[in-house]
Amino acid sequence: MSQPWNRLSRRQLLKGLGGASALPLLGAMPSLAIGGQHAGHVVVVGGGFGGATAAKYLKRANPAIKVTLVEPAEVFYTCPFSNLFLGGLRDMRSIAHNYDELRQRYGVDVIHALAEDIDADAHKVRLSTGDTLRYDRLVLSPGVDMRWDALDGYDEAAAEKAPHAWKAGHQTTLLKQQLEAMEDGGTFIIVAPDNPYRCPPGPYERAGMVAHYFKEHKPNSKVLILDAKDNFSKQGLFTAGWQRLYGDRIEWVGLSNDGRVTRVDADNLEVETEFGTRHRADVLNVIPPQKAGWIADRAGVTDSSGWVPVKPDTFESQQVSDIYVVGDATVAAPMPKSGFCANAQAKVVAAAIASSLEQQPAPTAYWANTCYSLVGPNYGISVAGVYRVTDGAIAEVPGAGGVSPADAPDTVRALEAEYAVGWYNAICQDTWGTQV
Amino acid sequence: MGMHLRACFALAVALGAANSAIAETRLDTDALQLEVLAGSCANCHGTDGRMVGAVPALAGRSAEQLEARLLAFKHEENTGATIMDRIAKGYTDEELATLADYFSHLPATAELTP
Ligand SMILES: Cc1cc2nc3c(=O)[nH]c(=O)nc-3n(C[C@H](O)[C@H](O)[C@H](O)COP(=O)(O)OP(=O)(O)OC[C@H]3O[C@@H](n4cnc5c(N)ncnc54)[C@H](O)[C@@H]3O)c2cc1C
Ligand code: HEC
Repeated sequence: MSQPWNRLSRRQLLKGLGGASALPLLGAMPSLAIGGQHAGHVVVVGGGFGGATAAKYLKRANPAIKVTLVEPAEVFYTCPFSNLFLGGLRDMRSIAHNYDELRQRYGVDVIHALAEDIDADAHKVRLSTGDTLRYDRLVLSPGVDMRWDALDGYDEAAAEKAPHAWKAGHQTTLLKQQLEAMEDGGTFIIVAPDNPYRCPPGPYERAGMVAHYFKEHKPNSKVLILDAKDNFSKQGLFTAGWQRLYGDRIEWVGLSNDGRVTRVDADNLEVETEFGTRHRADVLNVIPPQKAGWIADRAGVTDSSGWVPVKPDTFESQQVSDIYVVGDATVAAPMPKSGFCANAQAKVVAAAIASSLEQQPAPTAYWANTCYSLVGPNYGISVAGVYRVTDGAIAEVPGAGGVSPADAPDTVRALEAEYAVGWYNAICQDTWGTQV
Repeated sequence: MGMHLRACFALAVALGAANSAIAETRLDTDALQLEVLAGSCANCHGTDGRMVGAVPALAGRSAEQLEARLLAFKHEENTGATIMDRIAKGYTDEELATLADYFSHLPATAELTP
C-alpha cells in the first residue's frame, strides 16, 4: 500500500493551482474514531448518478466516515443510453447497474428503502421500513419528479398510456412496446418541455433513435416533435444530422409555430396546443415539465421554483444547513441537468463534507460537463463546458467547451459515437462500478 | 484520493492504535483538492483515469507525455482531438501540469480492497 508520491511533491503540485491561497493548512485537526466509532455519519438519499457517486467519493475521501445510502431500487437503470434501447441498439440489461461494489469494495451501507420524511432540526431521516437514521450531514440526490398538474389531462394514469419514459425502467419498456406494436405509416409524437428540465438534448436524441428504428423496420413512419421552446441544445447539429440520416422523417415544431402542448388526451392519443391545433399520434411520448424529487420538499430545501438553490462552492442548501443537494434537483445553471454534472457535483460535495466534518474549509470546486448524443448508431455529437465559481456564482470558463464542429466529416461523427460509448462505460464504472 | 488515508489507516492498525480502541484519522486536504481538480476526468477516463477502452487510460503514464498532450489540446490546432481541445481550454497551463503529474503518480491498476 504505497503512497503515490510524497507530500513535498504534492505541495509543489498544488502551488500551481489557482485556489492555492484558499488551501487549508496541513496538520488538520484530527478526529477521533473511538472503539469502532466513526468520523461522522453521512446519509445519502438516492442511488442515481449523484447519490452513488457521493457515497463512493465520501468513502475515498475518508474511510472512517460512516456512509449510508438509501435507495429503493436494487437495480438502477440509467436514462443515459435508454434512447439507444428505444432505437434497438441495446437491451435493458446493458443499462442496469447495482450496488454490490459500493457495499463490498467501499464499505457503504446500502439500504433499499424510501426516505419518507426528513426532520432537519433533529437531523433525522425516516425510512419506509419504519427505521429512523440520524445524520451529521445529509446528501439528497433524488432526481426529478414530473409536474402532474402542468399539462391538462396528463397525470400518472395518463402516463401509462402516453409514457414519458423520462425515468428509465418500466416507462422505457412501455414506450418500446408501443413503438414495436405500431403499424408502419404511423406518427410518433414527442412533446418536449420548456427549460429547465432533465437532459436538454434528450428529446432530440430520442427523435433520432426512433427515426433509426423506423428506417430499419417501419420506413413509412415519422417523428413529430412538438416543443414548448424555440431553441434547443445542439440544434444545428441535430437538424443537420437528421436531414443527413433520415431525410424528412423528423419534423420539429417550435413554440413560435404553435408547438407548445397544453392539453393531453391520453385515451385518444391526441394533444392540443396553445392555439388550439390538434395532433393525433400513433405513439404518444409526453415529456412534461419537472421539479426536484419530492423528498427535497419534505426537507425544506426547495424554493418557489420547485428546484433547490445551493451554495455554489459546496452545494450545501441555501435554506437548511448540513443538507447538501446534487444533480437534477438543484439550480446549478449554467450547468445542465445531466448525469455527468450530477457525478461531478457529487465529488465536490463529498470533498466539502469530508472537510467540514474535520472543521476544514472545502477545497476549491472544479466541474466539467459533456453531453454526447447519438443521432444514429455511428453518428455522435457533443456539447461540453468547464465550470468554476466566479464572483459567488457558478460560471462557464470562457473560451472552453462548446459543441462539435458543424462541418466535421462522417469519420469524426463516427469517432464521437465510439467515445460516447467510452463515456458511458467510464461514468457508470465511476458511479456504481458493477453492472447487473 | 483515498490511497493516502488508507495508508494512514493501515499505519494506525499496525501501531495497534485501532486495537486499543482509539484510531486517529487525519484528512489529507491536499489529496482532496487534487481529487476535486481531477474529478471530471473520471467521467470519461474512469476512476483514477484507469479505464481501458475507446478513451485512453491516464494512470501511471509519463507526466511529460500527458502534459505535452494536454498543452497541445489547449494551444494547438489540428491535434486530432474530438473533445479534449474543448476541455483543456478550461484549465490553466499550471492546472494541466498538475493534472498530468497527478495521473502519472497513480498506479495503473487498482488495489482490490480499500
Ligand atoms: C432519455 C434521457 C437520456 C439522458 N442521457 C444523458 C446523457 O447522455 N448524458 C448525461 O450526462 N445525462 C443524461 N441524462 C440525464 C441523467 O439521467 C440525469 O441528469 C441524472 O440521472 C441525474 O442524476 P440524479 O442523481 O440527480 O438523479 P437520478 O439519477 O434520477 O437518481 C435519483 C435516485 O433517487 C432515488 N430517490 C428519489 N426519491 C427518493 C427517496 N425519497 N428516497 C430514496 N431514494 C429516492 C430514485 O429512486 C433514483 O434512483 C438523460 C436523461 C434522459 C431522460
Ligand atoms: C467527455 C469525455 C472526456 C473528459 C471529460 C476528459 N477526457 Fe481526456 N480524452 C477524451 C477523449 C475522447 C480523448 C481522445 C482525444 C479526443 O478525441 O479528444 C482523450 C484524450 C486525453 C489525453 C491524451 C491521451 C493520449 O493517449 O493521447 C489526455 C492526457 C487526457 N485526455 C486527459 C484528460 C484530463 C486530465 C481530463 C480532466 C480534466 C480529461 N481528459 C477529461 C475524453 C475525455
